[in-house]
Amino acid sequence: MTRNEFIAKLSEVLKKLSIPDAEEIINEYEQHFAFKMADGYSEEEIAAKLGDPVALASQFQSEGKKHGGRKITAVIGLGFIDIFAGMFFVLLLAWEAVMAVFSLSTAVVALCLLVGTNPGSLLPPMPYGIAIVFALSLAALAVLAAVGAIYFAAFIRQLMRSYGRFHKNTLDAASGRAPLPSLPIYPRLPGKANRALRFVALVSLALFTATFVLGAVLSMLISGSLEFWHAWGWFGY
Amino acid sequence: MTTQYKKGVLELCVLSLLKKRDCYGYELSEYLSGHIDIAAGTVYPILRKLKSEGLLTTYVQEDSGGPPRKYYSLTNFGRETYEKQRAEYLAFAQKVESLLEEDSNDKE
Repeated sequence: MTRNEFIAKLSEVLKKLSIPDAEEIINEYEQHFAFKMADGYSEEEIAAKLGDPVALASQFQSEGKKHGGRKITAVIGLGFIDIFAGMFFVLLLAWEAVMAVFSLSTAVVALCLLVGTNPGSLLPPMPYGIAIVFALSLAALAVLAAVGAIYFAAFIRQLMRSYGRFHKNTLDAASGRAPLPSLPIYPRLPGKANRALRFVALVSLALFTATFVLGAVLSMLISGSLEFWHAWGWFGY
Repeated sequence: MTTQYKKGVLELCVLSLLKKRDCYGYELSEYLSGHIDIAAGTVYPILRKLKSEGLLTTYVQEDSGGPPRKYYSLTNFGRETYEKQRAEYLAFAQKVESLLEEDSNDKE
């Protein structure tokens, strides 16, 4: 690279990066060439020793300016994404609450059937033998819903952590810091806990199905009617 | 050695040289690229950065017969910063050195 080529490339990139006082900078490099040529070095030698003019020009960028524009864009963009992500997380948390309440209320109804109390006559009338079968069925359903709620809670937690990491990484990258590795969105439960939860879920599902069918069949036999709920006046007629 | 790492140390070297006497850019570039393995051109961005941070000032002086030269000079703030960073660097380097020497003792 000759002196002129070096200077032309340097001033081109300095201009592109809109670095102030480019003339002063170029003057400094021209003087460097002048000194070295007076000592008998060739233009090529000097240019090679100076380094790549494109890389040099970018070193004149101040740290703050290099990332300033990108940071503002990142912050505004993240703000918008946060609003939508926030609404999404509210929905997920609401569903988590629904599952938890469903599990709890099912368990309470099962307990009432088992003990034989009927607070406020809310529960439909049935012979106690049938009530025990349905109580078992509802207890199994409560356990199944609880397992679902636990899984879903782990999922929401991991999703939030993953989103938090994404949020942090985006800001870090915009301000020139090195990002951390991103997190998976699916939870990784320990193998033992995972197997235990799956076992409980399968057993409770099987128990719920079996006792529910058994309860219905027994009700039909005892009441002598396929529509046993009418025979026992569950819906008032 | 990574360039990012060198850059920080080079700033310290520039301040050190300027503490002894005022220099023009070419002198600093020649001296540093002669002693440390860096591209000669990288000294100029460092000078500019230090100047924009207020550690250096420049003045133009005509030497006998030659073209006017831009001299760099330490400001008071530059002098203070240099003393602070010098102490920090020496303490740091000493710790690293003792750590690396322990490592070589293990192998023997």
